[in-house]
Amino acid sequence: MTTRLRRAMAGTLWYMREVMGENAYEHYLAHQRRAHPDEPVLSRREFECRRMDQMEIRPGQRCC
Amino acid sequence: MTATATPSTGRWTPRRIAIWGAVAVLGAVAWGILALARGESVNAVWLIVAALCSYAIAYRFYARFIATRVLGVDDNRATPAERLDNDVDFQPTDRRVLFGHHFAAIAGAGPLVGPVLAAQMGYLPGTMWIIFGVIFAGAVQDMVILFFSMRRDGKSLGQMARDEIGPLGGAAALLAVFAIMIILLAVLALVVVNALADSPWGTFSLAMTIPIALFMGFYLRVLRPGRVLETSAIGVGLLLAAIVLGGVIDNSSLAPAFTLSPKTLVVCLVVYGFAASVLPVWMLLAPRDYLSTFMKVGTIGLLAAGILFTLPVLENQAVTKFASSGDGPVFAGPLFPFVFIIIACGALSGFHALIASGTTPKLIEKESQVRMVGYGAMLTESFVAVMAMIAASILDQGLYFAMNSPPGVVGTTVQSASEAVTNLGFTITPDQLQAAAAEVEEQTLIARTGGAPTLAVGMSTIFSGAFGGDALKAFWYHFAIMFEALFILTTVDAGTRVGRFMLQDTLGNVWKPMGRPSWRPGVYLTSAIVVGAWGYFLWVGVTDPLGGINQLFPLFGIANQLLAAVALTVATTILIKSGRLRWAWVTAVPLAWDVAVTLSASWYKIFSSDPLIGFFAQRDKYQQALDAGEVIPPAKSLDDVSQIVTNSTVDGVLSILFAGLIIVIIADAARIWWHTLSGRREPVLAEAPVEESKLWAPSGLFPTAEDRARQAEQQAEPVGAGRERSGGAGDRGPGGSGDDG
Repeated sequence: MTTRLRRAMAGTLWYMREVMGENAYEHYLAHQRRAHPDEPVLSRREFECRRMDQMEIRPGQRCC
Repeated sequence: MTATATPSTGRWTPRRIAIWGAVAVLGAVAWGILALARGESVNAVWLIVAALCSYAIAYRFYARFIATRVLGVDDNRATPAERLDNDVDFQPTDRRVLFGHHFAAIAGAGPLVGPVLAAQMGYLPGTMWIIFGVIFAGAVQDMVILFFSMRRDGKSLGQMARDEIGPLGGAAALLAVFAIMIILLAVLALVVVNALADSPWGTFSLAMTIPIALFMGFYLRVLRPGRVLETSAIGVGLLLAAIVLGGVIDNSSLAPAFTLSPKTLVVCLVVYGFAASVLPVWMLLAPRDYLSTFMKVGTIGLLAAGILFTLPVLENQAVTKFASSGDGPVFAGPLFPFVFIIIACGALSGFHALIASGTTPKLIEKESQVRMVGYGAMLTESFVAVMAMIAASILDQGLYFAMNSPPGVVGTTVQSASEAVTNLGFTITPDQLQAAAAEVEEQTLIARTGGAPTLAVGMSTIFSGAFGGDALKAFWYHFAIMFEALFILTTVDAGTRVGRFMLQDTLGNVWKPMGRPSWRPGVYLTSAIVVGAWGYFLWVGVTDPLGGINQLFPLFGIANQLLAAVALTVATTILIKSGRLRWAWVTAVPLAWDVAVTLSASWYKIFSSDPLIGFFAQRDKYQQALDAGEVIPPAKSLDDVSQIVTNSTVDGVLSILFAGLIIVIIADAARIWWHTLSGRREPVLAEAPVEESKLWAPSGLFPTAEDRARQAEQQAEPVGAGRERSGGAGDRGPGGSGDDG
């Protein structure tokens, strides 16, 4: 029962991190490893700044 | 099109037949109870049961039919997320995560406000439209547009209209999008103003969200980059503290400083909107968006839990007399078409087509997932609308009408409101009205139009019944107000910015520098134009003697349904052009219904001789009074009269514009349909090229046994290695094989 509970909590945490975009940096690292293995990667700070600044041009619609 | 769906879902076992049979019977019983109950009180749980059973059946059978037969989803075909993966805007995203993103983007204040207003005609007409409308129109539109945009590398609705219909239809669609955005922002901002006017508690808490968001932005940018979850948790904690502190401010000497008139609030909102549009996103827009997503999902979950826990009884009638007389105080006009116009977002919302064609199609992993993301998210939004209907319908009807009638009808004192409500055929004593306001620690609840305060009273009743009792009623009321105002402001922020980009883009065609997103003078100018446009309608709405919500909300509803007509026209055109005429009814029938609703509502608004409904009849009535130098109520001076004349002229002209746009778009599309069907022109589709997919992902919420095996296989082998295929290149694969039974 406790393992089930622990798994459910881990799943919820994973889901929240994914939806809110907290895992974006890990996804970026994985993408770089896969697609451009010889290029240097950005630090987390540089990556997050770039990600925010990209929202400048694509703010994302919010509906009614 | 001969789509052969592979029967990978398994057989119809007796157990499965029994389960679906039980769902159908339970749903039918719930609908029967709702439809046949007259005069006796009905428990809200039947609304929930009717909704959930109907959704389950629609999702399992109708959505699946559309995905496999009509659209022909093909999981062997790589989606743009897989083909163009750049880790920026194209990125294969887990279907459950994408569902969350998509739902957070489409859900806002609309499905909460519309049903509250529609409750004037009873709970039944509105609920029926929310449920059947979403099944046959709203969710279909969202899913189909998502699919077609995905097949076109995430093209926007406007681009699809231009590519598939033509330059005229495309231009009309673009104009429609811009117009609806302005009206939408004005109406939503008006809801906030009506909720915060003369309420120091609400105004203080909402004002505090600005420093909270600025702090969160700084924290995310400088202190802890990318730690979104902990930042949001801190933000939500500060927000709750701000609501509690608001109660203290309310009873302190600082209260007058936060007691703002509607006009002052308009100025604040306009200044705020401009600032939010020109400031960098990391400062204000992004953190506010995190906060609002957190609150949105949390509060909706809390509301569902509260309703299930308290099982409230509906006080509203199934169908009130205003359904047939059409002279209700909340909005004027008969049931058809106005209920379908007023429930703007919960059943069919054209605005969603803008989200379904844009961000979401670039992130989807598998074609068959359009069902879960597009159809599923819209069903969830519809469920939110059903809950809003419940929250409005558990209130005493006398209180409901005292709160939702414009000041011109109920006056400003508890005595005048009590009398007016009695004249409408309901009862509430002045003492009861006073007590209701005191309970939530507001000075007055009279003529608090716009839906938000009513919903907040309903939610505080449910929440305090479930958690905390009467002592927390005022807290829950302001919590609900804050929650609505917060995400309305998020919409205003994002909408102003999107409108600014659209304007910059269009003006950039005329004069190059305007199109550059980084050219500051262009940014300031276009932001000012967009803010000025919705600010104008907001100002008009606040000062209108006839009541701004009463006048503007139908216009907003018409604009939203107009956009849905554009989306459904584009979808029908693509179905016809791709040789799927026999399935075209799937979008053509909702289109025909939507056009009938929108055009007849426009007809009433333009030609009705009743000054309560028709804008031009209203104009004539007040123009005559103006000419004669007479002041007729609810106007209090000749200035008021001339203002009504101006407003009704502007609103009337807008109604003509909207109706004209629909006719232009449909006529232009009909030309294409005719050309295609008569074989005069070879149809050209703008689909992206086919490429074989190398990914495997489940299509439904729960992975099937086959999904698990395929995923294990994929993890065992390096990506790109020879993968077993289920069919030839041109073959339709196991589309929509999600097992939801």
